Amino acid sequence: MIEFRLPDIGEGLHEAEVVSWFVAVGDRIERDQPFVEILTDKSAVEMPAPGSGTVVSLGANPGDMVNVGDVLIVIDDGGAAVPNLTESAVADAPEVAAPSTPLAPTVAPASATSGRRPKAAPATRKLAAELGVDLHSVSGTGPGGRILADDVRAATERTAPASAALGAVAPPPIRTDIGVPATLTRPPAASSLGQAEPGVQPLRGIRRATAKAMDASWSTIPHVHAFKEIDATELLEVRGRIRDALGDAGASITPLSLMMMAVARALRAYPLVNASLDLDADTITVHADVNIGVAVASERGLIVPVVKQADRLGVVEMAAEIARLSGAARDGSVSPVDLADGTFTVTNYGANGGWLAAPLIRPGEAGIIGFGRSEERPWVVDGAVVARPVLPVVIAGDHRLIDGDLLSAFHEHVCASLRQAIGLLL
Amino acid sequence: MVVGEVATRCDVLVIGGGPGGYAAALRAAHYGAEVVLVERDRVGGTCLNVGCIPSKVLIHAADLAHQAMASTGTGVRLSATIDVPELKTHLGSVVEGLTSGVSGLLASAGVTVLQGTARFSKPNRVAVVGDGPDAGIQHVEFGEAIVATGSRPIEISSLPFSHPKVLDSTGALFAFESVPSRLVVVGGGYIGVELGTAWRKLGAEVTIVEQAGSVLPGLDARLGRVVGRRLGELGVEVLTGATALGFDADDHLRVAVGEAERSVEADAVVVCVGRRPNSDDLGLDIVGVTTDAAGLIPVDASRRAAKRILAIGDITAGPALAHKATAEAEVAAQTATGREAHFDAMAIPAVVFSDPEVATVGLTVAEAKDAGITASRFVFPLGASSRARTLGSAAGHVELVVDEEGTVIGGHLAGPNVTELIGEVTLAIEMAATAEEVAATIHPHPTMSEGLLEAAHRVLGMPLHVRGT
Repeated sequence: MIEFRLPDIGEGLHEAEVVSWFVAVGDRIERDQPFVEILTDKSAVEMPAPGSGTVVSLGANPGDMVNVGDVLIVIDDGGAAVPNLTESAVADAPEVAAPSTPLAPTVAPASATSGRRPKAAPATRKLAAELGVDLHSVSGTGPGGRILADDVRAATERTAPASAALGAVAPPPIRTDIGVPATLTRPPAASSLGQAEPGVQPLRGIRRATAKAMDASWSTIPHVHAFKEIDATELLEVRGRIRDALGDAGASITPLSLMMMAVARALRAYPLVNASLDLDADTITVHADVNIGVAVASERGLIVPVVKQADRLGVVEMAAEIARLSGAARDGSVSPVDLADGTFTVTNYGANGGWLAAPLIRPGEAGIIGFGRSEERPWVVDGAVVARPVLPVVIAGDHRLIDGDLLSAFHEHVCASLRQAIGLLL
Repeated sequence: MVVGEVATRCDVLVIGGGPGGYAAALRAAHYGAEVVLVERDRVGGTCLNVGCIPSKVLIHAADLAHQAMASTGTGVRLSATIDVPELKTHLGSVVEGLTSGVSGLLASAGVTVLQGTARFSKPNRVAVVGDGPDAGIQHVEFGEAIVATGSRPIEISSLPFSHPKVLDSTGALFAFESVPSRLVVVGGGYIGVELGTAWRKLGAEVTIVEQAGSVLPGLDARLGRVVGRRLGELGVEVLTGATALGFDADDHLRVAVGEAERSVEADAVVVCVGRRPNSDDLGLDIVGVTTDAAGLIPVDASRRAAKRILAIGDITAGPALAHKATAEAEVAAQTATGREAHFDAMAIPAVVFSDPEVATVGLTVAEAKDAGITASRFVFPLGASSRARTLGSAAGHVELVVDEEGTVIGGHLAGPNVTELIGEVTLAIEMAATAEEVAATIHPHPTMSEGLLEAAHRVLGMPLHVRGT
């Protein structure tokens, strides 16, 4: 008997949402066969089976939250003793699977998958049939666990974008005319952005993770923001020359690649900005590595994969890493490792058309830099007003950790690197 | 050689005009289909003609007679005279009124009704053999066929219906010209209990022979016990664990009761030990349908049995009840007209017009356990019901079964008019209502429905009209 519990898969993960099971109780399962998709803090992960055998029980229903250490699956591999499931995921379960009845339900009552019918009124059952929702996979939020119409609709919203995102993702559109192209943060189609049915739906998945992080950020971090505009002429020229030099291989080199390099160098120059504050422990942890998260708007929601040791990457490597991470974030295949250990964050909010914005710091980091959309603006050069591509560079710092002088110095370091972008290639 | 036999064409052919078949025909017509309904006897089927409806007429008349003749202690004294021929005329007129109503509905919906017996002759065709004086064969070509041929009483070899004293349930309704003095009912299920009780109230000496340990086997045992006690009070002899063996030389019925054997005098023996599906002479092999060991047609949730073939009612699995057939007819009519539909009811209620009435829906605690549900039962005894007392009846109870979360999953009722009450429990189950929600619903006073309120209060540990929890 193999009992597989939700492992700690990094990023301080404590819980995860079960998105869907690929096996059912009674199925034969082979070692390393993916058996469940779980949604951790911002990533969807397919768990491989720890061994081969017959599935005895599943620890949760799709939509349920499970904690690290909770039993995800029990597999009968013909081996010994039945584990006591009641101590973990199924603490409230009325029954425990007996060894002789491998099909017996072992999940908690609120999410039972036994022979019982899902609790839902006829109109809700009809809606589920119309929307192709298996009511067994829906957690009811009504009295006694009754599944409501809104629960069914929420279930479709939870699964539909995910399946859509699993398809091929078009390469990021690249603008070669003017300004900073929309590379990473491709906005969702207007048809789906912000669409929802009236009613109450459970807070789950990426939305939940984002809500918790932003709640912590807004309510605990005193933000200080600073705004600058720079002439991005050289930045765009350098980017263009690199691409000319590399041909097709340079297609993924975007201004963001150079922006990330500028931020990485500034973080190396000012280690205190690459730090974490812990007021409970009264400590400041200065990180050895410069790991920069990049905010990516996926169809599942905001995801922040991390470019590790960003200060050690050349522009080509940086561009490749950004392309890899953003692609994985969009199609939901980003691994927990790629989401973990960020020390600072960059948001290219200008891809959505924004000029100036005041981004929020991810809890555990000391700051965040945002880049607006570069546009031709009047700019004074040698006493004359000329049109130049102007790039807004916005910074937020945790004022508990970073004073105004440090923030300004760091901010200027980034801007100076971008003004003389050729230096980033040295 | 038959060349080019002329066939009537239709979109939907319905075989059988009972509560399943006529409902399917009406619905399919509502959906715009050209519908032909084949009925070998009278529309309305067993239910309207020889089942639910005439038996309820008989039971109502028997209750009137019984109330008149019994010493009720209410201060009102009546006497009764039983006129069986007039009763049968009345019975016939009620049936006639309802069946002609169905015929009218079918006609106004544009359904073509063919009198005769249908048999599949090709995968898309039936031959309808008429049985009237101008009998002939008509051919009907269909897009989809809905088989709704129902069921008939099971015959047991030791008591063949050909025996002059042996009657089926239809005979027990229509065969008598006067009240039989000694009636034996073989089979203590709901039909046997209803018929035995009615004839007892009309004055017959009645013996019920049941193989199981109590009457109404298959229902929650507590319901059978309530009815069994009342049968005893009415003077009905109930032999449980008993098997009818046949007639002896004196034309008495031989009954094995445990190890012993008894001889029971009988003017008539009504055999109602169950029903079997009418699936044996339909030519189902021609349309690729194979019945199971019990003669039932396997179907999927959309009621489809094979290409072009759907089936509903007693000819398919599940309880042989009119309302189950009608509910399945709704699904079949949609499927037959190209709509997406599947049978999805959470529970099918069952009612028995015994004394007292019995009604049941959903799961018992034991059935819930088998389904992996830890359920609990909460009972309100009707002795504490003001309405039951005003009706002079304190026997019976209202029981709600709820799951771990208090959601109503079953109801098992015995008492006056509880057949009308079961609809509320059924609705609660369909809506996945909790006992708390039932308790939050105002029930009118003084009515039997307050029993449900009290049972729901009990689920919450807060009964009002009984002590304790």
